[in-house]
Amino acid sequence: MSEPLLTVENLKTQFFTEEGTVRAVDGVNFEVNEGELVGLVGESGAGKSVAAQSIMRLVEEPGRIVDGTVTFDGKKLVDIEETPDGRMEESDEMLSNREMREQVRGREIAIVFQDPMESLNPVFKVGAQLREFIELNRGVNESEAKTIAVDMLREVGIPEPEARYDDYPHEFSGGMRQRVLIAMALACEPRLIIADEPTTALDVTVEGQILDLVSDLQERYDTAFLWVTHDMGVVAEICDRVNVMYLGEVIEEAEVDDLFHDTKHPYTEALLRSMPRPDRSVESLDPIKGVMPEAINPPSGCRFHTRCPEAREACKEFHPEYQDVSDADEAPHAVSCIKYERVGYEDSDPLQTEATGAFAGGLADMRGDDDGRDPAGVPGGEADE
Amino acid sequence: MGRAQYTIRRVLQAIPVLLGVVTITYFLMEAMPGDPVSIMLGPSPSAQQAAAIRAKYGLDQPLWLRYLNYLWDVVQLDLGTSLYYEVPVTQKILERMPVTILLLVSSFTFAIVTSVPLGIISAQRRNKPTDHVARVVALLGVSTPSFWIGLVLIIVFAYQVSWFPATNLVLPWASPAEVGVDSQLDVLVTSLHHLVLPTISLGTLQMAALTRIERSSMLEVLGEEYVKLARAYGVKETTILRKHAFRNAQLPLITLLGLQLTSAIGGAVLTETVFSINGMGTLIITAINNQDFALVVGTTLVLGLVFVVGVIITDLSYAYIDPRVTFEDAD
Amino acid sequence: MATTTGSDTDSRTESDAQAVESDPEQPAANVGWRYTVSQVRRDPTALAGLGIIGVATLVAVIAFLDQTVLPMFGIEQYAIAQAVWMSPNAEVAPQLLPPAWTTNVFGEGTWAHPLGTDDRGRDILARVFYGTRIAISVGVIATTIALVAGTVVGSVAGYYGGRIDDVLMRAVETLYAIPFLVLVIVFMVAFGRDLTFAMIGVGIANIPTFARLIRSRVLSVREEDYIEAARAAGVRDRNIIFRHVIPNSFAPVLVQATLQIGVAILIVAGLSFLGFGAQPPTPSWGQMLSQSRDYMLPDPWFSIWPGLAILITVVGFNLLGDGLRDALDPRINN
Repeated sequence: MSEPLLTVENLKTQFFTEEGTVRAVDGVNFEVNEGELVGLVGESGAGKSVAAQSIMRLVEEPGRIVDGTVTFDGKKLVDIEETPDGRMEESDEMLSNREMREQVRGREIAIVFQDPMESLNPVFKVGAQLREFIELNRGVNESEAKTIAVDMLREVGIPEPEARYDDYPHEFSGGMRQRVLIAMALACEPRLIIADEPTTALDVTVEGQILDLVSDLQERYDTAFLWVTHDMGVVAEICDRVNVMYLGEVIEEAEVDDLFHDTKHPYTEALLRSMPRPDRSVESLDPIKGVMPEAINPPSGCRFHTRCPEAREACKEFHPEYQDVSDADEAPHAVSCIKYERVGYEDSDPLQTEATGAFAGGLADMRGDDDGRDPAGVPGGEADE
Repeated sequence: MGRAQYTIRRVLQAIPVLLGVVTITYFLMEAMPGDPVSIMLGPSPSAQQAAAIRAKYGLDQPLWLRYLNYLWDVVQLDLGTSLYYEVPVTQKILERMPVTILLLVSSFTFAIVTSVPLGIISAQRRNKPTDHVARVVALLGVSTPSFWIGLVLIIVFAYQVSWFPATNLVLPWASPAEVGVDSQLDVLVTSLHHLVLPTISLGTLQMAALTRIERSSMLEVLGEEYVKLARAYGVKETTILRKHAFRNAQLPLITLLGLQLTSAIGGAVLTETVFSINGMGTLIITAINNQDFALVVGTTLVLGLVFVVGVIITDLSYAYIDPRVTFEDAD
Repeated sequence: MATTTGSDTDSRTESDAQAVESDPEQPAANVGWRYTVSQVRRDPTALAGLGIIGVATLVAVIAFLDQTVLPMFGIEQYAIAQAVWMSPNAEVAPQLLPPAWTTNVFGEGTWAHPLGTDDRGRDILARVFYGTRIAISVGVIATTIALVAGTVVGSVAGYYGGRIDDVLMRAVETLYAIPFLVLVIVFMVAFGRDLTFAMIGVGIANIPTFARLIRSRVLSVREEDYIEAARAAGVRDRNIIFRHVIPNSFAPVLVQATLQIGVAILIVAGLSFLGFGAQPPTPSWGQMLSQSRDYMLPDPWFSIWPGLAILITVVGFNLLGDGLRDALDPRINN
């Protein structure tokens, strides 16, 4: 197989706040191949958006990329190395800000943000905004750019694109605006589009339409997508391959069918169980216990051990290795969980946490005369054991 | 709905406000102690003279009738006769108004020209030394009484170093003969030279207030998603500042400009006093000190009109820049 | 008038307040207080402002005792001042002396009068000191009047809406359309040229600021679910306004009031400068500046001190106001 289009290795992005250093992205690895639709999923706060923006070096103060390498088509978008005296420095190969701006942003990689209401400038006409980016990134003149823009608006399903070209953003609905933003991304003919939760702010029906549109366009234009979302349903619908993030780390990566049917990581399993599905009743929904810990002070060992139903004492001690656990004849399937390592998981005692069910009985006793309202969703946990 | 309709609506909305201004001022003046007749005729006029004057100025009629008469006159652009100057109020106002407008225009120009770049630089170099200096300047600017700035400027630049004149404002439309120079261009230059100190005195407060709003709105806009998007599409930072952020960042500034007019007009009264300029401000003080009823109501009404027109202009420019305004109005 | 101009301030104040309502289900004034205090304690600029205001207020209180309270008990006016230094009204020295470290045509400066003397031979330092009283008291009282009246007008207009809203807001706009200073002067000529009417006049002229602020808060709070719930549960309108709406406006109003005191001090100084306000011989900064105008050439320092006093005091209120705004609205972080 040829080189991946995008390779992210050991990427670390941190935010230096008054409260301390937030390790939003903490050593992330993943790849996107030419023409592939790759998902990046996780709960809010997992660092998936920061990771996506780090690829384009769009992280703003007080955030900073502190380590790692991002390679896109042989170019080093990010390349930070340790110098002999122990400082982290940008290598000579890493693109300058200017090269980044002139060669990569928009031209090679385009982005679609989460909120279509905020992404378009309210005081400029939609067409003019499209045209500007097309002119800039495709090196065409104004009238050519306009033709491309109108064609692209038609492509993404905007009725009467010539007329709508001269409308202002507030004259479009949310779904229509997101179509405009997708048109904007595609019109620049990038090789990769990063979609940062592009359907989260939309109605479910509109979300469906947009997903259909993207699948359709992706096939025709053969553009690679990195699709950032918290929604496993969306992943199932459009992605080829998925990376699951938890607290700044990618903890599992597999082809979409593998991930759903041969789930390896307890966190992914928990995510899937918490997802509403037509073949299950609401009662059997199983929310993940607890909230994600702060990225300022991540838990020791495996970061998920505080919420993991299968956690054992060893999970507190050992930080699991991120490794491919698939058989040779299978598609790669990477996971980081010590269940798949030889560090003594099997001999270790189960951890006493709410997530492992250790407190379930105790809590029920304590609540004895309560009306049975359940803040942590314990019943689901019992149903599935 | 179109901009024309929006304009008409904004103008119509101003009418009740102007009516309110006349009403409030009229009745406040009626409450004023003292008898204008005795001011005109001295302490002991004959009954006959007094009655004649009363009849002449309509002072013998009941209050409500006088009020209605006055309103009717105002509609016909007749603001009555000044008791003190013994000329029509409109004439006096037409004579003084250009001076005050000149002062307002020059100080607002000064304020805008200085505050916009200062605010933008301040936002761009946030928390760097330039920003700190700009913020301290702005803080001092909004905290200093304009008339005291005038006094200090006179002491330093007129008395100590004699760079600029402190009094006898030369108007740009005066004739060269009056000023004692050769050409109209020289008049203009002389006038600008005279305008420097009053402009800074009156404009500093506006400058400071505008700088603060420019900085904070620029900071806000630079954090917007559409600015991030422009950056993600490879737009240069200078273009982002000049094009993508600039227009949006001016919206709060425009709003504030209109609202600042009321404090600027108040400031003009003080500045005209400090620099002995014969404008509307000194006119209204003279009118009040001489209980010149018609002149006070007339000048107040016209100053109110200046404010109302100013706010309409700023609202319309807001609507021109931000397409959402007329759109929302249609709903 | 100014309906669209209002919309911008509306959105600002909304966000101001939302930042404070961490828990919209339980809006309570004391939560706001505690939060405010804790935030201000961490902000050096706000603390500096608070320090200036504290000193100025202390001075103002001493002046108030000395000028007004003690004389009611038969003690001579300015007894405290005389005991410590000298009466601000005593004509004790040569006129128009410069500050201690300089000389002018009238004589040589002396440390007996560090900042020099005025045109009647009174000590400038003592007069600047006692002038604080007028500035602080008029600023605070005028703003309180504006705050109370503006809250009533704004909450009634915002809560009831419809015709009541139209009429009240049109009246407020009218008030705003008359240039501030002119309105107060006309008001004072009509009712009285002394300080009481200066306070009332400045207070009335300031009503629009608070009325608009409160109205916009009411409009946004009115739509909140818990207000709907309260109304559905039969809670009376007046109680809803007082128990829910007003406490919810705490943050933006506090910020505005602080800044507005500074503005009021500037206005009152301007009024006194024009001869409207505190009557002689009561020391006031504006009036000192007015006297100094005739001596700007021979004795420029006379014009400097009162202006500096105004500047420092108003800076204090602006620092505190800005600090409060930053503390209560994390969105605009500096």
